[in-house]
Amino acid sequence: MSILKRKASSDRKRSKSIWEQSFRRLFKNRSAVFSACILGFMFLFSFVGPLISPYSSNGIDVTVMKHPPDFTHWLGTDIYGRDVLTRLMLAGRISLTVGLASMVLSLLLGSLLGAVSGYYGGIVDSIIMRIADILMSIPSLPLLIIIAAMLSEFKVPTDYRLYIVMLMLSLVGWPGLARLIRGQILSLREQMYMKAADVLGLGTWRKIFHHLLPNTYPLLIVVATLSTASGILSESTLSFLGLGVVEPTSSWGNMITIANNLIDFQKHPWLWIPPGAAIFITVVAINVLGDAVRDVLDPKMKGR
Amino acid sequence: MKKKTIGLMALMLSTVVVLSTSCTSNGTGSASSSSAASSSAAASTQAVKLTDSKVELIKATDPGKSPDTANKRTDTFVATIHEPGGVFLPYFYDNGWDGNAVQPIFSSLVTVDDNGNPIPDLAEKWEISPDNLTYTYYLRPNLKFSDGSPLTAEDVAFTLTLLNDPAYAAGNVDFSNIVIKGTDEYKNGNATSISGIKVIDPTTIQITTEKLNPLSLTTLGGSVISKAYYGNGYQKGKLDYLKDLYAKPMGDGPYQLDQYINGQEIRYNANPNYYGGKPSIEHLIFKVTSTSTALQSFQTGQTDLDSFSTDQDTLEQLKALGFANIRIRTIPDFGIIYVNNKKPYLKDTAARQALYYGLDRQKIIDVKYNGYGEVANVFAAPTLWSYTEEGVTKYNYDPDKAKQLLEGLGWKAGSDGILQKDGQKLKLSYLTTKPDDPIIPIAKESYKAIGIDFVPEVLDANTMFDRLNKGDYDLLSVRTNGLIDPNDPVYEFSSTDPNVNPSGYSNPTVTQLIKEGISTSDKTKRQTIYTKLYQELSKDPPVILIDYRKSISAWNDRIIGGENYTTGASDVAIQLTKLKIR
Amino acid sequence: MIPILFGISLLIFFLFALMPGDYFSSNRRLSPQRLEELRALYGMNKPLIVRYFIWLKNVFHGDFGFSLQHMQPVTTLINQYIWNSFIVALATLFFTWTIALVIGIYSATKQYSIFDRLVTLGVFASLSVPSFFIGLLLIKLFGVDLHILPIGGMIDTGSTTTGLAYVLEVLRHMILPITVLTFLSVGSLTRYFRTGMLEVLRMDFIRTARAKGLKERTVIFRHALRNAILPAITLLAFELPGLFSGAIITEQIFSWPGIGRIQLDALSARDYPVLMTLTMLLAFLTILGNFLADVLYAAADPRIRLTKKEGG
Repeated sequence: MSILKRKASSDRKRSKSIWEQSFRRLFKNRSAVFSACILGFMFLFSFVGPLISPYSSNGIDVTVMKHPPDFTHWLGTDIYGRDVLTRLMLAGRISLTVGLASMVLSLLLGSLLGAVSGYYGGIVDSIIMRIADILMSIPSLPLLIIIAAMLSEFKVPTDYRLYIVMLMLSLVGWPGLARLIRGQILSLREQMYMKAADVLGLGTWRKIFHHLLPNTYPLLIVVATLSTASGILSESTLSFLGLGVVEPTSSWGNMITIANNLIDFQKHPWLWIPPGAAIFITVVAINVLGDAVRDVLDPKMKGR
Repeated sequence: MKKKTIGLMALMLSTVVVLSTSCTSNGTGSASSSSAASSSAAASTQAVKLTDSKVELIKATDPGKSPDTANKRTDTFVATIHEPGGVFLPYFYDNGWDGNAVQPIFSSLVTVDDNGNPIPDLAEKWEISPDNLTYTYYLRPNLKFSDGSPLTAEDVAFTLTLLNDPAYAAGNVDFSNIVIKGTDEYKNGNATSISGIKVIDPTTIQITTEKLNPLSLTTLGGSVISKAYYGNGYQKGKLDYLKDLYAKPMGDGPYQLDQYINGQEIRYNANPNYYGGKPSIEHLIFKVTSTSTALQSFQTGQTDLDSFSTDQDTLEQLKALGFANIRIRTIPDFGIIYVNNKKPYLKDTAARQALYYGLDRQKIIDVKYNGYGEVANVFAAPTLWSYTEEGVTKYNYDPDKAKQLLEGLGWKAGSDGILQKDGQKLKLSYLTTKPDDPIIPIAKESYKAIGIDFVPEVLDANTMFDRLNKGDYDLLSVRTNGLIDPNDPVYEFSSTDPNVNPSGYSNPTVTQLIKEGISTSDKTKRQTIYTKLYQELSKDPPVILIDYRKSISAWNDRIIGGENYTTGASDVAIQLTKLKIR
Repeated sequence: MIPILFGISLLIFFLFALMPGDYFSSNRRLSPQRLEELRALYGMNKPLIVRYFIWLKNVFHGDFGFSLQHMQPVTTLINQYIWNSFIVALATLFFTWTIALVIGIYSATKQYSIFDRLVTLGVFASLSVPSFFIGLLLIKLFGVDLHILPIGGMIDTGSTTTGLAYVLEVLRHMILPITVLTFLSVGSLTRYFRTGMLEVLRMDFIRTARAKGLKERTVIFRHALRNAILPAITLLAFELPGLFSGAIITEQIFSWPGIGRIQLDALSARDYPVLMTLTMLLAFLTILGNFLADVLYAAADPRIRLTKKEGG
């Protein structure tokens, strides 16, 4: 009962200043501030860093192939003798964009369709879920090969292909999340406070956006962090089909996959540790920030 | 999570492509060309000249270090294979690895050595008619199949008839460039036998063909399958009954199949009826291993012999094992970039020469092979008998010359530094199957310097070949199959059929020389012709030659004779009988 | 369910046909005449729609076609490999869920403790590294340096063991692949469980239960767990096709004779009969899994009604 009371009564009062309050609370949360700073730093590192670097992304120098880190090359060089640090920074532009954009897109689609499906039930649910079944049944690899061939056929510039593919992957990749969200909505819909919302005569969209989806927020954060990480890594493997970035453009994912044998793994750790660490830091920062935002937005957490 | 799987699949997809191309080539075994350079400075200093030394051997320093796992196998030799399919009948499998798997079971009439010279196997000698169209094989006396039944010319005739049956539907032997006389009447008419195949006596067979082809000798003289075992129930146009026998081979080679454990290992036992006597090693195993752990399997004694990735670090690790004998040999193939001669901006000889001069090929080889590869200048592998650099133009990296040549064709630098002609920018697409292809960054850099906009694209192998066959490309990277005859890599340039000659190259002198090259079987005459042809092809280059490469293989010192054995080489059966366990 | 499967089969058949090239197109050794002969022999020159109906007719007769690459009936081929993948996947599923459940719950009850933070970091580290790294690392450690586990394959080279000895041998070879696969999927699942548990622990009925003076153990396992595990049903449904699809990278690194590699080869070689059969099998399992999830959902939470239209 207490949820109901709090939700219903505080709704109007809080609505004016909810963002203000939340931001204030967010700033008080040290880990949130810290992780936001880290994310900000990653962006600066990627977008401004290369401008300061004395090396270019494709500065091939066969005299220093796979050179360990030293004062001229802070993070060493790769098999072409290119500066790893510079490539790491440039790679961040692609990987951050791709990771975050694909995450946001699939999150939007998945949660929206899942919520609608779960809330309405009946025929709407059936249709959305059957489409989801079909999409989940289509194997992605043949699909990607076809997309690759088509993009190549239509002479789409290689630099844009990655974004088109990410868009398409989000378009066909929503069913998983949608099913998860739908499952939660199905049970949330039956909770007492929703009965109250019905009694109060709240509009459908208001119920979905203000009362149902916010309660799936913890789940969304998990999905968001997981999909950012997999988005960044899968980009590299897309390039095996000509759908990711193509050399000499770098991304964190393709920098890691270059070192795919035991010898590089043991003897040339500067090839894979920096991009691995970059992905790790980004993903952790997003997760910590996400958790903090959740705590801040969650009315149940206020007292703690 | 779904996305991650996609990606990983894609990763493996490309690996598979690499593997399947390497297994079909003659004599490469499982050598992987993939990962390349490593410990830095070694590149230029350690460069091995491929054309000078064909094989380099490094002896084991401490054979006593051989692991117990290996030492315990006193009567078994374990070699490796990657992806066998389980069809153990020559000519009927469709997976290159099965080709490797049947080699110990089935001997050939004629086989070839590393330099492409034919050597006797089941046939002790042969004769070729002066017009190079009729082939007579003389079988060794008293040949037997492993079940003890006699092997005669009738079996050879049966084999060749089967391969020209209208229902024969495997893609690994192709007689359309040889054509045994009477094939058409047999395939499409009422003939009950092929008139060009004549059994003269039980040990002599004569085959008359219609097309000149230097590979006829080895193609017609391939593996022999038993008429008594496989021919039972044969009717023209019906080959389905053979499917039941795919998994139960019965042949004439040094070993017979014991057991195939799906996707894991193929086990063989020595064949007591082998014409050269029962091999000294009783058991043979082809074990399925993964390229990424080949070294670890060898190190722990799971395998006795394997090929490894060609780089300095791997070599050092192999040396450090102590019990490993190492062989570094040149692989009979080369890498090329196809140039689409049909495109208006690439049809001029000067344009293709400019692409040659403008590309820093040495840099590509340094990165890719780190001393175990070499810039290619001749349309033959260094191992082939016809290989010669005599009078061949070598296109060393010379960007200024490339620029001059392009300016000579009317290309002018635009404001962005890219060459232009008639408002058209000089933009070349480049197709490859490997995202880590070192040509991509290096060509991008070198070509940018001379004003060419180089646009690399990575595609799935079948997609790429589809584009090649359709002629929808500018530049495209491939590696030739394993080369046996000098005609193999050049033949296509004489054809007007775009399916055969996807580069669209045409040069009357070259066409003439290629025709002459296969009209005689006299090696000295052919050598003169090929020397001229190589010069001509270098003056008016059809495509860009990139590299020759080496492979590293190693075998446990307990195996005597490992230096002559390569899984997948044509003479596997013969070499297997020479192996011994210390 | 049947009409959906029909739709999928049609869709997939045409999708595969859209892929550039066919089985023979990358074989550069064949002459154009021979290529034409071969395509005719395999019926590849017929119109697409005719090929689809031929395929459909054969499927109704229980004939799933013949693999071009393996020269075997597709069903025989799949049967040889799919169970190898299945046993690994099943064991992985068991370990993943057990470990994720234990860790997820424990770190949820001790939120922001050292343990929770370490687990969180571990999970994200596992997400930031590709699987082949972990596989290679384990091989190096256990296979080469310590020499206690086999490097790859399903049996020792030339092994002739039978019965129990054979089972033990296979089990020994399964340890590393299962470890890698478990490590890879346990991370994300732990996050789901931890989050689900945290949510439930904040609910009023838990507070009520605690207020009633129930033991913490009872609160967590009797009351919280049941509710926290609801989203897991959906996740479990996703695992059903995974049991039969094979793990390509891991199978490759450990030379495990599974179905993943067969599928990948079939794709790169355009071996359509194999591709169609496997895809349809997985599609069927996907749909079945989702269907079962809906049923289980309703059973686990009686308040849920899937059919009746609700609200306004």
